[in-house]
Amino acid sequence: MTEKRNIQQMYDLPTAVKFCTKCTISNQRPRITFDDKGVCSACNFAEFKKTGIDWETRGQELQALCDRHRKGDGSYDVIVPCSGGKDGSYVSHMLKYKYGMNPLCVTWSPLLATELGRKNLDNFIKTGFDHILGTPNPVVTRKLTQLAFTHMGDPFQPFIYGQTNFPMKMAIQHDVALIMYGENGEVEYGGNMKNALSPTREIADHDGHYFSGKPPEFWEEHGLSKADLAPFSAPPMQKIRDNNTEIHFFGYYKYWDPQECYYYSREHTGFTPNTERSEGTYSKYASLDDQIDGFHYYLAFIKFGIGRTTSDTAHEIRDDKIDREEGIALINRYDSEFPAKHFQTFLDFCNIDEEEFTQVIDSWRSEHLWEKVDGEWQLKTDIMRS
Amino acid sequence: MNIGILDYGAGNLKNVCRAIEHLGYSYQLVATPEGVASVDKLIIPGVGAFKVAMEQLKALELIEPIKQLAEASVPIMGICLGMQLLFEQSAEFGISKGLGILTGSINLLPETNSVGNKVKVPHIGWNELIIDNVESTIIDNLSSNEALYFVHSYRVEAFDEANIVAHCRYNGLKVPAIVQNRNIIGCQFHPEKSGLVGLKILANFLNN
Amino acid sequence: MNNVRLISRLDIKGDNLIKGVHLEGLRKLGDPQSYAVKYYQQGVDEIIYMDVVASLYGRNNLSEIVERTAKDVFIPITVGGGIRSIADVRHLLRCGADKVAINTAATQNPNLLSEIAEVFGKQCTVLSVEATRHSNGEWGVYTDNGRERSVFEVREWVTKAVTLGAGEIMLTSVDQEGTGKGFDLELIEMVSKEVNVPVIASGGMGTVEHIIQANQAGADAIAMADVLHYNKMSFKDIRQACKSSGLQVRNTL
Repeated sequence: MTEKRNIQQMYDLPTAVKFCTKCTISNQRPRITFDDKGVCSACNFAEFKKTGIDWETRGQELQALCDRHRKGDGSYDVIVPCSGGKDGSYVSHMLKYKYGMNPLCVTWSPLLATELGRKNLDNFIKTGFDHILGTPNPVVTRKLTQLAFTHMGDPFQPFIYGQTNFPMKMAIQHDVALIMYGENGEVEYGGNMKNALSPTREIADHDGHYFSGKPPEFWEEHGLSKADLAPFSAPPMQKIRDNNTEIHFFGYYKYWDPQECYYYSREHTGFTPNTERSEGTYSKYASLDDQIDGFHYYLAFIKFGIGRTTSDTAHEIRDDKIDREEGIALINRYDSEFPAKHFQTFLDFCNIDEEEFTQVIDSWRSEHLWEKVDGEWQLKTDIMRS
Repeated sequence: MNIGILDYGAGNLKNVCRAIEHLGYSYQLVATPEGVASVDKLIIPGVGAFKVAMEQLKALELIEPIKQLAEASVPIMGICLGMQLLFEQSAEFGISKGLGILTGSINLLPETNSVGNKVKVPHIGWNELIIDNVESTIIDNLSSNEALYFVHSYRVEAFDEANIVAHCRYNGLKVPAIVQNRNIIGCQFHPEKSGLVGLKILANFLNN
Repeated sequence: MNNVRLISRLDIKGDNLIKGVHLEGLRKLGDPQSYAVKYYQQGVDEIIYMDVVASLYGRNNLSEIVERTAKDVFIPITVGGGIRSIADVRHLLRCGADKVAINTAATQNPNLLSEIAEVFGKQCTVLSVEATRHSNGEWGVYTDNGRERSVFEVREWVTKAVTLGAGEIMLTSVDQEGTGKGFDLELIEMVSKEVNVPVIASGGMGTVEHIIQANQAGADAIAMADVLHYNKMSFKDIRQACKSSGLQVRNTL
C-alpha cells in the first residue's frame, strides 16, 4: 500500500482553491502568487511584457550578447538545448541565421520517442544544424523512471535532471560559455519571479546537492551505481564556473509567443504538428516527442488539479490567442482526460500493473482537492463550478 | 412604387432585400393575402424544396393572391426556387403541384448528358447567358459573356419556347436561365448573388 | 466546359480573420469584413466563412459577420463551423448565407444532412471534410478543426453524405493546408470519382499551377486563403493568370 503524501506541505499549497480572474490557472500551482485583484503573477508578467518592456532595447542587448560570445573561428559559441520541437528549433534558427552564431544544438533523448518527435528532430537537423543527442543507458533510464514514478510521483524527474545537466556538460566539453534556452518557465508561467527582469538564472539554484532531491543512498539501495547516475548529474560546480558558463533565455530578449514559434519552425525548420490533438489538451503542436509525456501532465492534474489544458489555456489567454471563457470551455472538455493511448506502454516501461499504478496515483490525491462522489474521484472545485 | 418581397420562409430573403436596398429602392415584406394584393411589383425568392415551399404558400393562403396578381398584369419575378414555383409541377420528392402560372414542369438535372458524359448535380457556378429573345427588357445593358450564379438541382422542362429569354449550357445540357411571359419573369440564377451583372438584371426588373 | 470557381476562404475566430497552418494556430490577421469586401471588389466568385473554433468550443457565432458582409457583397456566401441543427441553418440563411458547410455535427449524426437537405435543399448543404492521410494510404475524416479523429474514412464518408443529401463537398487537406505547396491531388481525384457532386478543393494553394492541377484532378472550385490573406498574389492577378494558362474561369469586368 502506497503511503498518502502531504502535497500541501510538500509544495506549500493553500487549502482554499482560487482561480486567477484573468486566466485559468489556480493558486495550486507551486510558487505562484495572486495580487489583491485576484490576478496571478504570470498574468501580471504577461501584461508587463506587452506594455512595460522596450523590446528594441532588449533586441540590442541580444545583439551585444551575441557579439560578445561569437567566436568566428569555426568553433561553437552557443549551446541550444532543444528537442526537435517548435521552441528550440526557433531559437537555434534565429541564433544561427539571424545573429550569425555557431550553435551546437543539444537534445537529451526522450524516454520513449514518438515517431513524429523523431521525424521533427530529423527535419530540424536536416535544415542545417550541428547536433548532439545524449542517450543515457536505456536500462538505467527505465529503472530511474520507475523509481521516480513510484516514490516521487513524477516519472519525468530523472529525465528533467538529465535535460538540465546535459547542456552544461556539453558546454564545458566544447568550451562554450553561453547556453541559450527558450523561455524562463518560472517567470513566464507563474513560478518564482525573482528573475523576471533578468536574462539569466543562477546555476547555483539548480539542486546541486542530491540527484532528483533524493540522497545517494536511496539510489544505491535500488541497485543504481554512481556510474549509472553520472549522465544525469550536474558537472562539478567548479568546472561550471571555470567555463564561465551563463544560462540565458531568448524570451528575455525577444517577446516570447509559443504559438509564433510554431509558425516559425513550421516555415523554417520543417516542424510538423500532430494529426490529432495531444491527450489532455486541445493543441497539436506542443510536447510531441515522448510517449510518456502524458503521464507527467496527468500527475500534475492529480497533485494540483491543474491538467494540461489548464496550463495551455492559461498561457494562450495571456498571449491573446483565446479568452477566459473559451479557455474554460476547453478545460471542461479536455482537462481531466486520461492519457490512454500509451497507458500500456507506460505500465510496461515502469514494470508495474494497473493496480499499482492506481495506488501510486491515489497516494498523490490531496484531501484538500479531491473527494469521492458515488465511488468516483472528483475535484472538489474546478473552474467551471467556481 | 410598392415593391413586395414574398416572405414565406424561403431562406434567402435578406439577400434579395439587401440587393434591392443597394439599388436605392425600398420594399415591403409581404406574407399575407392583403400584402400580396397591395404590391405594384412582387419578387418571389426561394432556396429550398419545392414541396415544402408550396405547402408553406398554401398554409399562408398565398396561392390564390399570387395567381390573381399575375392575372392583373402586376410584374412578378421569381428567383431560383421562386421561379420554379411559377410552373405547373415539380418532380422533387414525388409530383408536387406548383402555381401553374407558366407552362412547364420542373425536373431533376440528368446525371449524364446526351453523349453519355457525367454531369455533376447540383449545377453550382457561374455560367454565361445565351440570349434567345433579344427584345426582353430584362436583359438591357447586359454584354455578352457575362456570367451569372447558378445553384440548383432542378431545371424547367416542357416549357413554351416563346417564354425563353435566355438559357445557359451546363455540361451539354440546356438550362433555361430567364423565362418570361408578359408580366411574369423567372430567373433560374440568383441575381442578388451575381455581383454587378445580377444587380443590373434586378434593376431592369425594378425600372421597367 | 464549365467555369472553375475561384473562392476565397476566411477562417474566423470571434471577430477576427485568422490563419493557421495544418489547421493549427490562431494568428490574427484583421477584420474579416474588410478582406471579404476587397476580394468581392476584385472579382472573387464566392466567399466561404469558416468558424474554426465553433465545434472545439461548443458554440457558433458567425451570424454577425455574415450579416455585415451580406450588406456589401453580392456573391454567394457559404458559412461553416458549429452548425448543429435546422435552427442554426435557418438563422444563418436569414442572416445572408447561401450555403452551409457541416462537418463535426454530421459525423456525430449523419442524418442531420438529410434533415437540412429536405428543408433547405441539397444545393444549400455542403459537406466540409477535413482529411488527413494515414499510413495505410487512406484518408481519415477529422473534426473540431482537424484535431479529433472520427470513425470515418473519407472514401466511404463522402458517398454516405451525398446519399443523405450533401449537394457539394468542400474538401480540405489538413496535410497541405497553409503550406502553399499545392493541393492533395490524389485526395481530390479519389473523392471526384466516388461522388457526382461539385467538389471545392481547399488547402495548399500557392501558385496558379496548383489550381490547374486541382481542376485536372476533378475539382470544380478552388478555395484560397493563405495566398490571398498574406497578399502573396492579388486576386486580380490570380484570375488573369488562370485565363492566360487557358483555364476556364468567368470573365469579370
